[in-house]
Amino acid sequence: MRAGGLTRWPSYRRAGVTARLAIGTSALLLLTIGAILASLSLGPVAIPVGDVASIILSMLGLDAAGFGRTEQLIIEQIRLPRILVGAIVGMALGVSGATMQGLFRNPMADPGIVGVSAGGAVGAVVAIATGAVGLFFLALPAFAFLGAMAAAFLVYGIAALGGRFSMATLLLAGVAVNALLGAVISAIIILLPDNGALREILFWLAGGLDSRSWEHLRISMPLILGGTALIVLMSRDLNLLMLGDDEARSMGVRVGIARPVLLAAAALATGAAVAVSGTISFVGLVVPHMLRLVVGPDHRVLIPMSAAGGAVLVILADTVARTVVQPAELPVGVLTAFEGAPFFIFLLVRNGRRIYLN
Amino acid sequence: MLIRTYLLPVLAAAMLMLLLVACSDGSDDQNPASPTPQPVEAVETSTPTPTAVPEPTPTPEPVPNPLEDVSAIVDPENLSWPRVVEGLNGIVSIPAKPERIITASIGHDEITLALVPRDRLVAVGGVSKDPTYSNVASMVDDTAEISRDPEGIIAQAPDVIVTSPYFGDDGVAALTRAGIPVVQTDLHNDLDQRVNDILLMGYIYGEVERALAFASELRGRYESLLELTGGPGAGPRVLAMTNYSDSIWVAGGNSTEGSVIGAAGGTNAAEVAGIDGNQNTSLEGVISMDPEIIIIPQPLEFGAEEFRQSLLSNEALSELPAIRDGRVYVVESRLFTTLSHWNMLGAEELARILWPDRFPEPITTPFSEPE
Repeated sequence: MRAGGLTRWPSYRRAGVTARLAIGTSALLLLTIGAILASLSLGPVAIPVGDVASIILSMLGLDAAGFGRTEQLIIEQIRLPRILVGAIVGMALGVSGATMQGLFRNPMADPGIVGVSAGGAVGAVVAIATGAVGLFFLALPAFAFLGAMAAAFLVYGIAALGGRFSMATLLLAGVAVNALLGAVISAIIILLPDNGALREILFWLAGGLDSRSWEHLRISMPLILGGTALIVLMSRDLNLLMLGDDEARSMGVRVGIARPVLLAAAALATGAAVAVSGTISFVGLVVPHMLRLVVGPDHRVLIPMSAAGGAVLVILADTVARTVVQPAELPVGVLTAFEGAPFFIFLLVRNGRRIYLN
Repeated sequence: MLIRTYLLPVLAAAMLMLLLVACSDGSDDQNPASPTPQPVEAVETSTPTPTAVPEPTPTPEPVPNPLEDVSAIVDPENLSWPRVVEGLNGIVSIPAKPERIITASIGHDEITLALVPRDRLVAVGGVSKDPTYSNVASMVDDTAEISRDPEGIIAQAPDVIVTSPYFGDDGVAALTRAGIPVVQTDLHNDLDQRVNDILLMGYIYGEVERALAFASELRGRYESLLELTGGPGAGPRVLAMTNYSDSIWVAGGNSTEGSVIGAAGGTNAAEVAGIDGNQNTSLEGVISMDPEIIIIPQPLEFGAEEFRQSLLSNEALSELPAIRDGRVYVVESRLFTTLSHWNMLGAEELARILWPDRFPEPITTPFSEPE
């Protein structure tokens, strides 16, 4: 089966992959750096951009002065780790979304399709409801990551039962496991007597980056970068898998290995992201679609671009989330949906069938 | 002859009076607006002698009815049964003095136990039995436990249910269909409205006198506190913070914790920063609020002390006055978060933190209990 629109290359397909990759990634890299700098200068405590730049320079070991100790601590200990966590979370969601859409040849696929998000949510909800979050530092991310991985293995295990892996079974198993885990969350919320914990669960489910520290970055970055790197390395295989199993095999792809490895890499990156940020919606769905319109469906370009695009979207959403009602905050997941959904609808209306539908 | 002439008329008059009293209105509450009836001192037995024209007695000043301003009481003059109140769920008639009460709300349970003997509260929710959240857990150890399932509540055969808006409209409808009067009321965190809550519940339970006495007791304690602290906003900037999992929450204006801070004479730093209710914030948001004192109304088993230590050791917060001066305190969560008179103890505890020189000893005065 050919992958319909997903394999139709736009008019600029003649441009070399390397050139497109270089131009697109450079542009998004600049955009990412700009978003980080803008985000660093905004917050409940006003810090001029010049001071932000001086603080960054001093962190890099360069001689810079003219800023206060409080401002330095805010940038170093609060804003920068938070923004970087947001960036890698966005990166993970964007890359995983592009991978899932390619693997499933389904424009509606997102990282949650294999139950990772719901599994992570159940892990976190159980940790909050039972008070296990207080057991040790980073207990919540640990529970969320375990939940995410357990759900992914369960879905994959069902799809691979009897030694024969089936994408259709995987999709249906994902739907079933997601429904089951959703029911578990609902049951816990309904039976929970503690309003404080309930509020925390709801906030976590909406996704948030408040109080993210260097520790959160440290534990999630290797997993996310590892998963992303694996997907980038296998992006050619992903392109060929979209042509169908037989064609991919004939082109030298070891389908039986490439597909589960890609799935595992996407699940790993998403699980680590969910663990430190909660379930931030819409990024994995909308970012690859937006970028596919610009750079085409070639995953060798699309995957790195989705990484940068996801990072930019989450950084911008988080900046708005923490400044629009400051010093209070909104869940960042609410903002990604607010930002992403209207833009996605705009693209759908404007581009019609160019949003590649099967 | 002597008996027939004098004693029989006296006995007949006495019996008539008793009958009149018994048949008057069946009320358990005396009208708080009327002067307290004086006991009959003696029955006139001798033939009345003509007297001079009586002096005109001055008309007594009308005593204001303290129930007059209690919202939700439909007719404050009516102290007989049935009584009619207007809850959030509409007009409800309570046919007789309820002996079996259920609230299914922790704040309502706490106030109820201040107004009626505990055997009249026939069942409570699980939270009311949990000492982490409940100030009356030890009082309801042996009380039956219910959930919000109407079936279990109906099985307790309550005469009345007074509950919060969170109970759910479907549950209220089911209980009402079962013929049980259900009154949904809000509980409030400022003193005047809390007195309103207490008087309303006292009216519903047929315990107006006790409710009046208890409200007066609360007012007295509050005024004593104000006298020593100078009232809301007179003292340092206080920030009530909690930390569940990785999120930081602060209590702003219109929050229960905020009302306790005000009652203790503090300035609610989150409210000054424009935060309303309980909101999520970041460490940076905390810095912008610049608190002089931080209180953590969070149970110890949910990591309150660890959170306190993390604040004190966080380098990013080191310039904050509260951190610099080491004025970060874990306080009894259940006194700061419940919507009942137990907040008064929270305010007294906090006042001692804010004004150690004015409160050298802990305030340990217990609340009075219903007879």
